[in-house]
Amino acid sequence: MIEKIVDPEKLRHFPPGGGKIELYWIYTSGKAGEEFFRKLREGKFIASKCKKCGHRYFPPRIYCEFDFAETEFYEISGEGCVEAFTIAKLDLNEEPMEEVIALIKLDGTDGRILHVIKEAKDVCIGMRVRPVLKKAEDMQGNICDILYYKPA
Amino acid sequence: MAVGKKKIECPPYAEGTPLSEKDISEKRVTFFEDHPNLVYSWTTGQALSRFLEELKNGRLIATKCNKCGRIIFPPRIYCELCYKPIDGWVYVKDTGTVQTFSISYIDPDAKPLDKPVVVAVIAVDGASPNMGIMHVLGEVEPERVYIGMKVKAVWKPENEREGAITDIKYWRPLEG
Amino acid sequence: MKGLKFHKKQDVAIVGAGMTTFKRRLLETGKELSYFAVKQALEEAGLDISDIEMVVMGSAPDAFDGVALKGEYLLDGSGGSDRPYMRVFVGGGTGVFAPIAGYWHVASGLADVCLVVCEEKMSSCYPHPQSAFKYIWDPILERPLKPNLIWIFALEMRRYMHVNNVKHEDIALVSVKNKANALDHPCAQVAEKITVEDVLKSEPMALPVRRLDVSPPSDGAAALVMVAPHIARQLTDEPVWVTGVGWCLDTTHWTNRDLYFPRYVAEAARMAYRMAHITDPRKQIDVAEPYDPFDYKELHHMEGLGLARKGEAPILTREGVTARDGDLPVCPSGGLLGVGNPIAATMGVKACEIYWQLAYRAGKRQVAKEVTTGVCQAWGDLMQVGTVMVMSNKR
Repeated sequence: MIEKIVDPEKLRHFPPGGGKIELYWIYTSGKAGEEFFRKLREGKFIASKCKKCGHRYFPPRIYCEFDFAETEFYEISGEGCVEAFTIAKLDLNEEPMEEVIALIKLDGTDGRILHVIKEAKDVCIGMRVRPVLKKAEDMQGNICDILYYKPA
Repeated sequence: MAVGKKKIECPPYAEGTPLSEKDISEKRVTFFEDHPNLVYSWTTGQALSRFLEELKNGRLIATKCNKCGRIIFPPRIYCELCYKPIDGWVYVKDTGTVQTFSISYIDPDAKPLDKPVVVAVIAVDGASPNMGIMHVLGEVEPERVYIGMKVKAVWKPENEREGAITDIKYWRPLEG
Repeated sequence: MKGLKFHKKQDVAIVGAGMTTFKRRLLETGKELSYFAVKQALEEAGLDISDIEMVVMGSAPDAFDGVALKGEYLLDGSGGSDRPYMRVFVGGGTGVFAPIAGYWHVASGLADVCLVVCEEKMSSCYPHPQSAFKYIWDPILERPLKPNLIWIFALEMRRYMHVNNVKHEDIALVSVKNKANALDHPCAQVAEKITVEDVLKSEPMALPVRRLDVSPPSDGAAALVMVAPHIARQLTDEPVWVTGVGWCLDTTHWTNRDLYFPRYVAEAARMAYRMAHITDPRKQIDVAEPYDPFDYKELHHMEGLGLARKGEAPILTREGVTARDGDLPVCPSGGLLGVGNPIAATMGVKACEIYWQLAYRAGKRQVAKEVTTGVCQAWGDLMQVGTVMVMSNKR
């Protein structure tokens, strides 16, 4: 029968010191994402509306998930009001920091955006906020092209 | 109803927008990059803990099941055919026979290698038939390797062994 | 196999299928690709998304797309909103395993209409999906040797060639046939007319495997609609019935097996043939789509499926029996070698292709002879997985 190893020093780990998993990913934005970031470069926000049931999607999609019909893009202001927020005290590596992260319901859509709020003394639910964008030439084509939201 | 007709050709159209490598490298489309920092440390388990200890001592060990009579290599604490714990440990020799081999010109990331690597499945002497492990061959011209060739393990010097499969540097042909 | 009882509540028919194009890199996200494939399948079936009762999604390792919990991520594009949804994954075998899971949903009587979707976006893994493949190896016994996944195929190919005494020229004929067949497929990625010389002179990767022996990584999606008999009768005069399913896995101790014969495929095929009452596959199967990520794999799997005796598959290929106008057409779609290899979404060239062949809707790819019964098969991982599905257009 097998002898059980009771001394933890004998139970090995491999490789000693840990093995790194080397992976590198490139996520394309897709058809709807391309359109969204293109319009963002011009300083405009877009959402999409289902041609059949009228559900207004943000972030925009090219299909309606409920009736699988096509959607059409339309412009929105990008402003909204805070639906929920949290004050984050630790960053990814558990170092101390302080940042207000909020779920912002955008005007004219049924969707919300998750982003950072700055330049606000007090944040409360229902507060109106508007976006601050990077300069067009600095935009990379991802969600950080919106720098942060500030009180309207 | 749309169907019931035999005269339609399927798939009727091919949807999708192809991109080229240049579209990514020249940033003609938007994308987001991510490089995760994942570090893993795998427990070797009961059987391989002993196996790696013995490798450090320059020996190969296997396990045996008395019900089906197999000498199982690489060792495991259960016989997967009889589905019961194994009945003991057995040392096996560090010689074997090449079951199959390949001459590889690419590295793990599919990039070309300067010198080809000869990899083989080696059935170890002393274990049941077909009980092989994968390892690399050395001290042999790639064209001279054949199925059925007898090989012997070449070990690292004792002070360099760390208890890993690479404590065997490579396997070399037994004949001159 | 001894105790298996094949009780079922109702038969299962396929009434629609769809697939996107297969290319090395696609702009669309995984959700958008799933949406395109499902839309095409629903169009052919004549159904709306509200008619779908349950959804099965098949997708291979999360490491390719780079999204953990990929099944949940792809949910809205696959029509899974507000209905029972599950993801199945069994490596490369997912292409036929997902329709098998769809079969369970309908045959058990839990659903009358089930949608099966498969999607894969390998291009997210940069610069090459090989870097995600290397984590399939055993971390202690194999990874320190820095292996490439092509090695395991090369080792198996060498063993197959040695035991059956087959030359590389005969194996290369498969690559020539499939890439030429794929010229008639609108979604093909690497369809071209090549010769045996081209294959034997192409870049060596891990001998005996050369570049033209291998299928490329791809992005793509595919979908199938499976329904109960009373729904099939309302939609079409010619549904295609699923008559047998089988699946079997072997261990990851692949070095302890003789690799020249895939016994896990033979087991899975035995289960599927027993369900479908097939006793002589060579005579009773009219068209086959075995999994062909490498050219020798088509021959290897043909023997595992019982379509050829051990060592006979290269002879059948050489004599033209497996061509589209032959006696037993194999991979008339062009298979993975011609159309592309997006792991799970290969359902489009395996299960969907047999469905289209049996429904006489394959257009230019339609085989010359009359077809009643077809078999599709997928394989996966460290030479482990065999999944088989038998279909027929007669009940």
